[in-house]
Amino acid sequence: MVIRVEGLHAGYGMTSVLRDVSIEAQAGEAIAVIGPNGAGKTTLMKAMVGMLRPTRGRVDFDGHSLNGLRAFQVARLGLVYVPAERELFPTMSVLENLELGAYRDVSASEEHMRYVLGLFPRLDERKHQLAGTLSGGEQQMLAIGRALMAGPKVLLLDEPSTGLAPKAVAELYRQLSKLKSAGLTIVVTEQQVPLALSLTDRAYVLEQGSIRLSGRSSDLLGDPSIKKAYLGVA
Amino acid sequence: MKKYADLVVVAVVLALVPVLAGGSPYYMRLATLALVYMAWTVAFNLIFGHTKQLFLCLGALAGSAAYMTVVFTKQLELSPWITVPIGVATAAGLGALFSYVSVLRGLGIIFLGIVTLAFSLIFHNLVLGLRQFTNGETGLVSRGLGFPLLEQPMSSYYIFLGVLLVALIVYYLLMASRMGMAVRALSDDELTAELSGINVTWYKVLAAAVASAILGLAGSLYAFYNGIVSPSVFSFVSVDIPVLIALLLGGMRTRLGPIIGAAAFAVIEELVRPFGQLNVLVYGVLLIVLFVAFREGLVPMLRKTLKLSLP
Repeated sequence: MVIRVEGLHAGYGMTSVLRDVSIEAQAGEAIAVIGPNGAGKTTLMKAMVGMLRPTRGRVDFDGHSLNGLRAFQVARLGLVYVPAERELFPTMSVLENLELGAYRDVSASEEHMRYVLGLFPRLDERKHQLAGTLSGGEQQMLAIGRALMAGPKVLLLDEPSTGLAPKAVAELYRQLSKLKSAGLTIVVTEQQVPLALSLTDRAYVLEQGSIRLSGRSSDLLGDPSIKKAYLGVA
Repeated sequence: MKKYADLVVVAVVLALVPVLAGGSPYYMRLATLALVYMAWTVAFNLIFGHTKQLFLCLGALAGSAAYMTVVFTKQLELSPWITVPIGVATAAGLGALFSYVSVLRGLGIIFLGIVTLAFSLIFHNLVLGLRQFTNGETGLVSRGLGFPLLEQPMSSYYIFLGVLLVALIVYYLLMASRMGMAVRALSDDELTAELSGINVTWYKVLAAAVASAILGLAGSLYAFYNGIVSPSVFSFVSVDIPVLIALLLGGMRTRLGPIIGAAAFAVIEELVRPFGQLNVLVYGVLLIVLFVAFREGLVPMLRKTLKLSLP
């Protein structure tokens, strides 16, 4: 297991959000955490990368315990997080954003740059444009590109489809499936359940802070309760 | 070495200033003060320009170093070679502490401004209150206590030029290191920087500590040069406001901005001298105008309009 979350409890102040959440992913696997708004998907991501201290439970990544590590340390180990808000360096150019993304390992920067610009030709076209002036879809590509510049072992994506036009979402998921074919381990949270399930190998259903269901993504796609709750089919 | 050509130009130009002053003690003093403010502005550029930490206690930090140095020299009869480092360490420690607390408690730029402004008030009050050590409002005579070379105009000028060059070299080296990349990232977006693997806390505290040490070094030596150390020498109006104006005027996050800005401020100060006590009013208006309409500064403006590649 390259990443394993075990019995995680987390919350904000007195409010507990996650209760006894366990998920795991093997190297090269893509997994999805699906669930409605407010289920705790973002909280789970934040607790995994050290932006939020879990109250109980543990997170292990690639032979290291992540408990007590801060966000920059987790990123340096190769667990790279892309929040739903598409965190960028807004007043810098696309190219500068990517260069700074390579902070973890500057020596491999050129190689990663070629890869990222090849994967997202749109970013190549807009190299010198300021990040803050890109469209939503392009910003999401840049946020993911910046994460890839770090040469991550595991990529954590929090609701990458948020606020994007359907066409942009489809394009983004095509690129994500290329990343998956290239062997990158991906953990993605989504409300757009069919998309997430068709990208990933396995999925967890998070509801009200607990894992309600888990299994192979293709099986979940056919599960009647999932269909009813998330796909809008009776 | 080409990367540091501007540093050589600055050093040569400033080294020639005493020739232009033609030995006039009045102009020599102005030029020496300008060097002190240049060093302070270089420090403030590191704190405010590069790491977005609004320290409104520059005078108090420089003053803490100055008072520590002079009081220890006077009371304990220690050599200034020992007391100046004590002063510098005091300033660096205080600066690092403010920075660390603000990062730890997640204080935004405004709250850090309020906390450091409160420290300025505390410092002022402490100087007045600890009369037996500081001699209150009147101040302490520091003449004859420090380095003999700081009692003569010409050698003093070159000592402060040395201090400025040390500050600039430290600044250049830090910016050429991985820290340069880190502060470029964190000044744009701290969370994105952290998620890219940058230890935001460490670089902010490091910037604050190094800059405060520079503030303290220039402050301690200035206290000896000035012959007297009093609360008004290191007040908010006489240090923080000029340095804020100099940095905004010259251009934040540029190498030459602090130098050009502080030099320009020295000229402005001479121009408003006839206004007497009303000079602070002029500074206040100037500061408002700079914040509202000219936040970019001279160096970035010259880069754009004249297509110069100024560092």
